[in-house]
Amino acid sequence: MNKKSPLTPPEMKKHYLIFSLITLLIFSCEKDDICADTTQTTPRVVIEFYDIQARDEIKAIPGLFAIGVDSDGNEVPIHNELVLNRSLIALPLQNNSNQTQFKLYKSYALTDSNVSGNPDVITITYDIETLYVSRACGYINTYSIQTFSIGSDSDQWMSNSQILITQITNENEIHIKVLH
Amino acid sequence: MSLNAQEAEVKDSIVVQEKYGLRLGADLSKITRSFLETDYMGFEINGDYRLLKRLYIAGELGSEKKTTTTNYLSSTAKGTYLKGGVDYNMYENWAGMENLIYSGLRFGFSNFNQTLNSYTIYDTNSLTWGQNEVVDTESFSGLTSGWIEILLGLKTEVLNNLFIGLNMQIKARLFESEPDNFENIYIPGFGRTYDSGKFGIGFGYNISYLIPLYKKAR
Repeated sequence: MNKKSPLTPPEMKKHYLIFSLITLLIFSCEKDDICADTTQTTPRVVIEFYDIQARDEIKAIPGLFAIGVDSDGNEVPIHNELVLNRSLIALPLQNNSNQTQFKLYKSYALTDSNVSGNPDVITITYDIETLYVSRACGYINTYSIQTFSIGSDSDQWMSNSQILITQITNENEIHIKVLH
Repeated sequence: MSLNAQEAEVKDSIVVQEKYGLRLGADLSKITRSFLETDYMGFEINGDYRLLKRLYIAGELGSEKKTTTTNYLSSTAKGTYLKGGVDYNMYENWAGMENLIYSGLRFGFSNFNQTLNSYTIYDTNSLTWGQNEVVDTESFSGLTSGWIEILLGLKTEVLNNLFIGLNMQIKARLFESEPDNFENIYIPGFGRTYDSGKFGIGFGYNISYLIPLYKKAR
């Protein structure tokens, strides 16, 4: 019997095309399940410090150091926080509370486990909005600042503050301006 | 094959009769996965009806439940689907054999719901205050999606009227209802979705039985 082959060359080509397409699809999709480092994470609140004498001029704080304060008043060390002369600080907010407190030290120094410096306590209250990012990263939080206050004490180094941007959606902008 | 050759062949041999009828089956891969994988439950019945020598009307009806877990969230999709279309047999059978190597086209429709079981806030600065997983189950019901599918498969008659088959599907979503502040991670019948776009893939491993209704000379 003179039968033609079940798979003629053009059909074979078509099959190869489909198989390679499937292979391509499978390999191009693995990355979907891994959260890339470049993905915008939950933002921190960014505070910039200005001169009380010249309100538009940035003024660095010598030995600025921040410590978190939990709802029971216990100090919580901030991951990767260092003592530095700087005019800008980014602070992580608590995700399971609408309020976070920090102790900001000016001229912080630790000598023989004795802390020296001038601490001022700041309190930030905010609303949290949870935003869907992707299957790999899940959700991030964004914040809407309600209030920002500086606790008064006898040796207060921060004089005044102003909320510049209420919505905290990224760390590329200054949310709060503090005068000192 | 030339027309003359075909005429000659018909004259020379006994007229070959081919079976026409309704073939009904089930997807074995979905049943197997239901037993092997703890996060998957699925079932599909399928059928085709031979219309012409090479053309079949074909369809699938199924149900799937799939839980997807990544580092940051867990979600379960559950629903039913219906697919309908045609299969075209590209295979030239030897006399007396009725196997298929076919390509097919389907329109698929799914009605499903999706539950967000839990999630963790993606926060690279969470080492300070601690990462908290939110177990706040949220359900999105009444979701629908439709898609078009191109498939490629084969069906072999292993016993009289009993067929086993394999097929692969490439799908493109035409529409879907998006849950608020979430997305469809898995669509029953369509399969998992991809961040890259509207395409999806699937495969089937079927067993089916042909109910012959009449015979016709090929």
